[in-house]
Amino acid sequence: MSDPVIALRAVKKSYQDVPILDIDRLELPAGIYWLQGENGAGKTTCMKVMAGLIPFKGEILLNGNVSSREHPVQFRRLINYAEAEPLYPSFLTGRDLLELYLHTKGGNREEIGDIGGRLGVDIFVNNPVSSYSSGMLKKLSLLLAFTGNPALILLDEPLITIDTRALTVLYDLIRTYSAKGVSFCITSHQPLDAEELTVTGTLKVAHKNITLN
Amino acid sequence: MRTTSAILSKIFTRRFYIDNTGFFLVLFYALFGVVNGANLINYHKALMLGFLGNYSFLFLVLLLWTAYVLKCTGFILKTFQLQGYDFLFSTMGSIDKPARIRTWFLLHTGIYMPVLVYAGIALLVAIQQHYYIPAAIIVVLNIANCIWPLTLYERKLAQPDIIFFTGHLQRWINRHFTKPPVLFFLYELFTNFPRRIVSTKLFSAAILWLTFLVMTRGEYFDLRGLQLGVMVSVLAHMQLMVHHRAFDDTYLNFMENLPVSLFTHYLRLIGVYVIMFLPEMIIITVNAYTKTSAVGLITVFCTALSLLILFRSMLFFPKMNPEVHVRYTMLTSFIVLFMILGHYEWPAILLLQAASAIIFFKKYRSYEPYIEPES
Repeated sequence: MSDPVIALRAVKKSYQDVPILDIDRLELPAGIYWLQGENGAGKTTCMKVMAGLIPFKGEILLNGNVSSREHPVQFRRLINYAEAEPLYPSFLTGRDLLELYLHTKGGNREEIGDIGGRLGVDIFVNNPVSSYSSGMLKKLSLLLAFTGNPALILLDEPLITIDTRALTVLYDLIRTYSAKGVSFCITSHQPLDAEELTVTGTLKVAHKNITLN
Repeated sequence: MRTTSAILSKIFTRRFYIDNTGFFLVLFYALFGVVNGANLINYHKALMLGFLGNYSFLFLVLLLWTAYVLKCTGFILKTFQLQGYDFLFSTMGSIDKPARIRTWFLLHTGIYMPVLVYAGIALLVAIQQHYYIPAAIIVVLNIANCIWPLTLYERKLAQPDIIFFTGHLQRWINRHFTKPPVLFFLYELFTNFPRRIVSTKLFSAAILWLTFLVMTRGEYFDLRGLQLGVMVSVLAHMQLMVHHRAFDDTYLNFMENLPVSLFTHYLRLIGVYVIMFLPEMIIITVNAYTKTSAVGLITVFCTALSLLILFRSMLFFPKMNPEVHVRYTMLTSFIVLFMILGHYEWPAILLLQAASAIIFFKKYRSYEPYIEPES
């Protein structure tokens, strides 16, 4: 059996001494996962921990050998994250952020330009994010999540606030990237469209732990 | 029932005078408080005759009036950017254009009024004293200052994403220039908190000016004296450092997912403070390059930058709130001061650099904003 795309080992996360996550061991083979849980169960915290956005105890391995502790830069190259409610400095333009991601994460500039066009981001990419609606911000953060050469993309509530055309594009992108070997972990309170996506498994966040069904 | 003008006047005019109370107090003191009441009219008449009779002086006055109109225009344009003021686009956009232009004119002249009143009195004096050309210049400039901002307000209404004065320039910059991360915090200060950065820089410049004045009056130059002034100037930046941490916590969390090495993050931090302290370094160079060697200047700059970087790095201790931060920065400053007085500048610089690097590399990845528990 191939290495799991992500493996969590003794991962613990607390906020002000209140434990939120306590995952002894979790290994996910490549695929598309739907991360479920009630409000406040710790889905977003779990994603932020996986993405290296917030400190935690324990270790996460990507592709079997890239450690969050020992290879922090390489780790971040392999995992991308799109927030549920993205927040960026008001004076930055979409292009500023896109260039920053392309310079650091790498990836195919033309391909990202093409995705930007399909999502409709190219129309407003030169404007400061202060002028964006929540849907525009969401589209930008989704576009940023596809930059570089990630092994795993974490999408936090990607279905909300975007229009139906962008939603169709997003489903298509997930299918295309998944066919290329990229794994996805998606949180959503809305059910994922079974006709659009075949989910490998569902992950349930409850009682500070994550279980794979 | 309130009229539209009254409501808009409350939003723009009244807010302008309330927000700028401090500015007007200083201005009124400078214009009316520094002179004996009995000589006030003569003082102002002499002042007006001074600029009416001298084109260089007149140019300076016109420049100040134009600076004030820029402040007024910036205030109105910025109001549209404020949270909760989005309704202005839909409401003002629904007013017929001629009526809207009249409204803009009333709002703009309402906040430009102090200049109009002073310029009006100067105009009467000019006519009385037969200074017709200066009078014409004053009239033309003030009419222009009352009209050209209205086109910017109209443009702002049509193009909400424009922050700066010239939309085309801003769009051109946005298309051709990518903001590097080292400038993010400075952009934040200049676009969202200009008063904070300008007041800090003015205060810091005043400290350095006072330092050089004291040494000039005493007819001596001591590098240690300059370093003392520089240390106080660095301490004037503490508010900006706390703001820097809050800005990083709130808006730059996404950068933690970027594959960027700790060393690059550290270089970015150093870069922020080198750029921020650049005006002071220029002031110091201009005033001290004839009095000390290049090594002396480098020592002063390294002391200042090392202190700035250490003080910012200290904020990577999550529980370091502003009050605790002040205590530690003061303690560090005293230790450094005694080392400087004992001519141990370079050991002090090396210690500061080592301390900031250790704190940064140890704390950066594990840093998380601390939320004070409710008592």
